[in-house]
Amino acid sequence: MAGLWLAAAPLFAGPGRHFVLDNGLQVFLYEKRDVPLVNIVTGFNVGSKDETDGTNGLVHLLEHCVLFRGTSTRSGAEVGADIRRHGAYFNGNTGQDLSVFEISLPADYADFGLLNQKDILFGLALSQEDLDREKEIILEEFSQMEDDPERSAADLVLQGLFPGHPYGRSVYGRREVIAAATTAEIGAFYRKFFVADNCALAVVGDFAAADMERRVREVFGPLPKTGFKPEGFLMATPLKKNSSRRFERDVREGYLYLAFAAPDYNSPDQYAMNVLAEALGRGVNPLLGAYLHGQRDSVQSVAMVYLAYRFGGAAVVSIRADPKDLAAVERAAVSFLKRAHNESYSKKDFLGSEAEMAAFDYLEMAKNQIRFAMGQADESGLMLAGSLVRHMLLNTRENPGNYLAEIDKVDSSDLRKAASRYLGRGESAAVSIVPERGNKR
Amino acid sequence: MSAPASQRRRSGLILLAALAAAAGTALAGQAFDPPRPWKNPPEKFVLATGVPCIYQKDPVSPTTVVGLFIGGGKSGVPSGLDGLAAMSTRLLLEIPDEGKVQDLMAQATRLSYVCVEDSSIVLIECLTEHLEKALRLAGKIIQAPLISGLRVGRAKDLMAANGKTDEDDPVAVARNVVFSAFFGAAGYGSALYGTEPSLKAIDRKEVVSFVRRFVVKPNIFFCVETDLDREPVRRLLEQSFAAFSDGAAAEIPRQDPALPAERDISREKETKQIYVGRSYALPRSGLRDMAKGNLLETLLGKGPGSRLWTLREDERLAYGVDADLTWTRSAGVLIAYLMTGRERSPEAIKALDRTIETLLEKGLTEEEMEATRTMARARFLRASEAKSARLRTLGLFETLGLGAGSAAGLLEAMDAVTLEEMNAFVREVLAPARALRVTVGPAPAGPSER
Repeated sequence: MAGLWLAAAPLFAGPGRHFVLDNGLQVFLYEKRDVPLVNIVTGFNVGSKDETDGTNGLVHLLEHCVLFRGTSTRSGAEVGADIRRHGAYFNGNTGQDLSVFEISLPADYADFGLLNQKDILFGLALSQEDLDREKEIILEEFSQMEDDPERSAADLVLQGLFPGHPYGRSVYGRREVIAAATTAEIGAFYRKFFVADNCALAVVGDFAAADMERRVREVFGPLPKTGFKPEGFLMATPLKKNSSRRFERDVREGYLYLAFAAPDYNSPDQYAMNVLAEALGRGVNPLLGAYLHGQRDSVQSVAMVYLAYRFGGAAVVSIRADPKDLAAVERAAVSFLKRAHNESYSKKDFLGSEAEMAAFDYLEMAKNQIRFAMGQADESGLMLAGSLVRHMLLNTRENPGNYLAEIDKVDSSDLRKAASRYLGRGESAAVSIVPERGNKR
Repeated sequence: MSAPASQRRRSGLILLAALAAAAGTALAGQAFDPPRPWKNPPEKFVLATGVPCIYQKDPVSPTTVVGLFIGGGKSGVPSGLDGLAAMSTRLLLEIPDEGKVQDLMAQATRLSYVCVEDSSIVLIECLTEHLEKALRLAGKIIQAPLISGLRVGRAKDLMAANGKTDEDDPVAVARNVVFSAFFGAAGYGSALYGTEPSLKAIDRKEVVSFVRRFVVKPNIFFCVETDLDREPVRRLLEQSFAAFSDGAAAEIPRQDPALPAERDISREKETKQIYVGRSYALPRSGLRDMAKGNLLETLLGKGPGSRLWTLREDERLAYGVDADLTWTRSAGVLIAYLMTGRERSPEAIKALDRTIETLLEKGLTEEEMEATRTMARARFLRASEAKSARLRTLGLFETLGLGAGSAAGLLEAMDAVTLEEMNAFVREVLAPARALRVTVGPAPAGPSER
């Protein structure tokens, strides 16, 4: 996951165009002319980190209103009809750090895409009636998320990993905050954060970059510069005490999510952490998967992702297993991850010994998996544009360098150091979703 | 609103698409013309081994996806042996020794399978630089699969677990219910991952017999999306996959959907939301039907402005509204649904029915028809942007007997559907008497206790 976000970095030294408008809006244009589509992704540096307990959920609610509740010139229904007339896919998402809005449409309609995004993002006109309507929809989204064991567990485990830190709030928010929200509260977030100098725009697709640059400057250039200064936050720190929570639902499988604190988006450790997550929990038979399958017959699937945020990170392991065995699986997984700094990840760890021949090179596997994932990311214009926006908004390094070159430099000792620093020292957060007691189905 | 130049119809192109559809498949070595949605058109040729191959070059990434399409899929599953197709395909991927597993792992090559209505697909995805090794290994294991009693037992455990995960997803539960209702207990209606009794009933000999029947030259084809040129791909496939049996083409009787006597089906589940769906069988005799079906799916449930979208945006009954269409060799199966809170489900059920009835009575306007057409075309482009997804699309058209080249022709077929034709189609397929009504969730009364 983080790999795909970070994968945008090399493009900044490549064939794309990166420029900043006078009003501070950052732009990246990248020609991808294999399919007649244009993908426009716009991001703002505002997420659940910018909320308080009393406003938790308002950024998510604002994202919905921006997408679906219209502007000073068009109602929400008119925006929807326009989107449809132009064959557009249209969506948004709110995360811990950012709110991101995307539109993908046939290349012939690129101009509409730019104008539409500018209108909805910078021209919101929201009545209390419209806001109340959107609240009902969001509350349905809550229920849908809570019925989905994996989405629900992923949300809960991150709350457990970052207690007391802004990342410890659910990106979905709190029902009671959403139910009570007013246009004044939403408007305050909107006016503060939805400004050109807090925004990044990436356009990827079938266009000529020079023409697109001219149109981007014409459409977004007149927006005012506000002098916005992003707020800083303390870096998230590792958990000092294990947290393990269990929830009962009407499910038949057992779902376990484990999370450890991990490096932030700009940390030099990000490369090793990316490779480590691949070696431990992705691909055909990763180390953690092989270990757990060997220990517990009940384990069905194991995966690991590294999520890199601006002020911290998370290494998240997801496991499906027989619910009756889930507590034992949790103990085995945590115990293994705590000792992951003792593992041999590369054939070179056995250099000169007889074991070298038999050893498997997890390091090589992980690097190849990252290269493959980057290849896949190149195939999707929308994914690429999303990566570019995240990189523009999260990167603070002068010269982030070439991502793949940095990945190539990672060696086995780097993985052990990362495992020791991030999995070995801090404690973990765990969330289990299991069948309700007495459920005989 | 006038259509952009690239979308204007050209009668010559429509004719070509129609001819390609009528011919079923193109001649060996012939490029499908014109390429329309893609820079490089897919080509079909026959390998020296006798196995057909659909090839498309796409230099956008240094990766290759090879799909081995095995005719049959769920349609080939006999009554009482639910899960046999998925399990047999899974067993084709058993790697006999640790060394070979390690080779695949080190290259980050992925071997996976998908079992759908009319085919099972083995997918080989890798960095193109590793293609030769990946195909050599895949060829060895797929052509001489190791089907031992022990491995069959392990595969059953995996099927059972996958089945449980499916049961935790109301959308998957509803889909299974719909297929079972339309097609009965065997074939398309069988449970993909089996049931407790069917998994008990499946033994090694059933799996071996299934593999011998379906994994034969007349019943398989390759589909390849790659940045590599055609000839090296051809050579690698011929070298690595020369040992498939000749056999006879698997004869599978056509399975037509039939409405059951009981058209209201509920599955109880203690969730916060209730899934409310309506499903319809659609006719499928060629590209034109598929075009109309895809337009209807888009019209009903795809994106802002769709008919179901009003249940979300105006009536606030749901966050999730959608329509989902599956094509089989005999028919399309369309499901339109929403997920709503349990207290509001009676209201949501009425609203869903009212929405469909209104469409049925009043039909589409010219403006809505054009917007739907544009949306459906764009959805097709987005769905076939990445190599893996495009391979599935091309393979589906080949499996359905239309020929992979017709995939691009679908765009022209959608352009050719007139408003009158579409409205007649809507009246025909969405008639209330043809609807299957499905709910998944708690009984629609009383407050949530969770």
